[in-house]
Amino acid sequence: MEVKILSARFHLKNSNTLKVAKKHGAYKTLDKLFATAPEDVIDEVKRSGLRGRGGAGFPAGVKWGFLPKNTGKPVYLAVNSDESEPATFKDRYILVKDPHLLIEGIIICAYAIGCHDTYIYIRGEYTTQVKVLQAAIDEAYAAGYLGEKVAGQDYRLDVTVHRGAGAYVCGEETALLESIEGKKGQPRSKPPFPAVAGLYGCPTIINNVQTIASLPFILDKGADAYKAYGTEKSPGTHLFGISGHVEKPGMYELPLGLPLLEVINTVAGGVWKGRKLKGIIPGGSSTPVLLPEEAADATLDYESMAAHKTMFGSGGIVVLDETVDIVQLVKNLIDFYHHESCGQCTPCREGLGWMLKIIKKILRREGTMDDVLLLRELCDNIEMKTVCVLSAACTMPVRSYLDKFRHEFEAYVADAATAQACQ
Amino acid sequence: MADKITLFVNGVEVEVESGKNLIDAVAAAGIEIPHLCYHPALGADGNCRMCLVGIEDGRPPLVPACKTPAQAGMKVLLDAAHIKKIQHDVMEFELINHPIDCPICDQAGECKLQDYYMTYHGQPSRMTVPQVQKSKKLDFGCGVVHDQERCVTCGRCVRFCRQITKTGELGIVNRSDQARVTIFPGRPLNNRYALNVVDLCPVGAMTSRDFRFQQRVWFLKKSPGICHGCSKGCNIVIDHHREKYADDRIYRFRPRLNLQVNGYFICDEGRLSYRRENEGRLTVARIGGQPAAVADALAACRDELQRAQKVVVLLSPSCSLEQMLAAREWAARHGAILSGFSDGYLKPGDGDGYLIQDDKSANRAGLLLLGIDCRRETFLAALAEAQLLINCDNELERSFPLEELQQLLMGIRTILATSHDSPCAATADIAVPVASFSEYDGAVVNCDGILQCFRKAVGKNEPLPDMADFIAALDGTAADRAGLFTALAALIPALAGQSADTVPAQGLKLNENEAAHVSA
Repeated sequence: MEVKILSARFHLKNSNTLKVAKKHGAYKTLDKLFATAPEDVIDEVKRSGLRGRGGAGFPAGVKWGFLPKNTGKPVYLAVNSDESEPATFKDRYILVKDPHLLIEGIIICAYAIGCHDTYIYIRGEYTTQVKVLQAAIDEAYAAGYLGEKVAGQDYRLDVTVHRGAGAYVCGEETALLESIEGKKGQPRSKPPFPAVAGLYGCPTIINNVQTIASLPFILDKGADAYKAYGTEKSPGTHLFGISGHVEKPGMYELPLGLPLLEVINTVAGGVWKGRKLKGIIPGGSSTPVLLPEEAADATLDYESMAAHKTMFGSGGIVVLDETVDIVQLVKNLIDFYHHESCGQCTPCREGLGWMLKIIKKILRREGTMDDVLLLRELCDNIEMKTVCVLSAACTMPVRSYLDKFRHEFEAYVADAATAQACQ
Repeated sequence: MADKITLFVNGVEVEVESGKNLIDAVAAAGIEIPHLCYHPALGADGNCRMCLVGIEDGRPPLVPACKTPAQAGMKVLLDAAHIKKIQHDVMEFELINHPIDCPICDQAGECKLQDYYMTYHGQPSRMTVPQVQKSKKLDFGCGVVHDQERCVTCGRCVRFCRQITKTGELGIVNRSDQARVTIFPGRPLNNRYALNVVDLCPVGAMTSRDFRFQQRVWFLKKSPGICHGCSKGCNIVIDHHREKYADDRIYRFRPRLNLQVNGYFICDEGRLSYRRENEGRLTVARIGGQPAAVADALAACRDELQRAQKVVVLLSPSCSLEQMLAAREWAARHGAILSGFSDGYLKPGDGDGYLIQDDKSANRAGLLLLGIDCRRETFLAALAEAQLLINCDNELERSFPLEELQQLLMGIRTILATSHDSPCAATADIAVPVASFSEYDGAVVNCDGILQCFRKAVGKNEPLPDMADFIAALDGTAADRAGLFTALAALIPALAGQSADTVPAQGLKLNENEAAHVSA
């Protein structure tokens, strides 16, 4: 089932070095790139159907098309390498195993959109990754792939690595821009969208690491070769991070559209210790959970996940076995999002803290059914009332657990009632 | 005048000004969109989420009104069930961690949280878990006291310090419900407009050390006034109250919106100058340093006038136009020399190019408008020959050191009509108490040539005479104050046909060479 497009060089020894990467094909698309008009590059990417790999799945070529023409302002590219969604660990492989693939992708994207200054926003916790990435960038500069004359062409491109300070919300594209600008990482109201007024008020494209890393293949082999993988609306391959209660957790590159359960059972070796499956988080902690029966006919692509009222997300699949305490899980979930709420909008700032206290009360077996219902209601009251979707990233999955595993919450409440009666 | 556009609010057609955001646009049509973080002087931030409105057929269908420009044909939904639900829910979120200590909160009575709770929420709390605890009674400097628990982190105060004073002392630290407004360690508020954050704060998080626990705001009578602290003439609200068995007293000044003059703010010095209206006042007349009745003092003044041949009348640059005109006419009738010398009111370098001016008088432009000589040498020359000085509240000790002043006035009889006790009042041969600017009607011209009228705000139990009354009393008559304004209107072309009531609220901009038209 596995394919090797993004991960083609991952297995090589010292794959992060320019020498090894170049020997195995890195930067070979650049001649073709500079022989192609930028608009044609954009068209090819549009035709490939490549969708943003950060989680939302917005078509990359279409996003580039939103850039206003001839504004007289510089165009910036910001590569989102914040990868802070819990259960997601795909971009780090690219950063460490094949940073030159990312740099090559950056050159392609920058050329296509007319950008000369690129920022890679990397999460602060990625200490090893940032060293490897910076070393690769330095190598690329030394070899003339970056700098005043990219690959000998009359095209300047500078790449700057900007380290975050450990805020989940800085993965949100406008908070990311604020952070690069040296401000507190808080999302901006949209409109205006970054393509119109982004970094320092200039037109800006923000793409995920994996999106950018997919570009060399598309340029090299063509859109049709890329579309040969995946489904019609979700073409290509994706790096999936499969974790949780499976026999073989890890990062696997798979074409989109594979049956979810089959992937878990064959690629990841199935639920560990012979236990039963309780649920699957399909694409990072913010995606609503799937019950085994729902997962039965789900496939790993944007459309199928949407049809199952969840999201494809970031490809971070978490398998939950029968021993998982859902109430505890929800507490962890709310705890995380509460901690990461930037504190800007009232519903998220105040509401997530309230939800956390309620779930803790239920966990202490002091809760009532009213608390469970209030928790459910707060999900609705908070969601989509805020500048960004961080609040929804918490309330959407919490709602799914409350609806699909209501009996577990009821059991805690029943325990509380019994304890009360015994006193 | 901006273009008018038509949009729909709850299906009703409304004509609004274009180029404004939805909150301001429909507010002009009398429709309120609730908001906490938005303030017209500070722009939109969009964090409180109280102003979310629906846009029918809009993409997105839910927008913050503060960040949404009013557009022709827009269909705004305000009373739809889902919008009301959002307002209700946002209020609930604002209140769950709020201490709800209204009984001991100075903001009570003028608090947006209270108002919005009554309008948009009105339900008992569902908060059954402990509230977030934060710091209280924090000294932020400049007399600003902060309560983090009452704060709704709307960030108005932060934006004020960044955008208006550009001093940036305040910031919001931490995330989630731990977010709080604070200063940097050891770097308190340090600007001359800091107390504006107290007005800007929509809740009781920012309080003024000066006003804290002094008075419940619903007892305060809010009268409009003009600050006399400098020549800017900032528009203020005079909050005053007469406690039972006590005199009418001013508790605070607050800024009053006038985009032509001061905008939304006033300086701290002006704000705290209300104290001068309450304290240090001269309330009884003095003859030869001994307390006397005002009537006796005025009689003594007339006796002095009988004896004196050469009289100099000195005006304060803070007198109203009416008072100046009364003095000018009196001096003309009696052949007295009139001076407006008041160099001591100038503090060069003190102005900041924003609101605070070098000139600490309210109506110097009025002196010039009426052609009153303000030169030092003419005043000194007149004084050298004078037998009697009638000083209309000009604080001469601002212009001369006390010893020099005593030398100057040696051998000259002095009559001082003043609102405040001072060394001069103690040494004057006759001192007559007069009303201060919060206690009379008048008009002043500010440093930008804007003429503003103000009304008597405070009514003392024992009212003191207006300066114009004092001047009339020198002749044993009463002042015709309406007549004085009519005379002014005849002198100043811009005032032609106006009465004190018809002068626009934002003031009347006099044209550049107005002064040239006024002959002495």
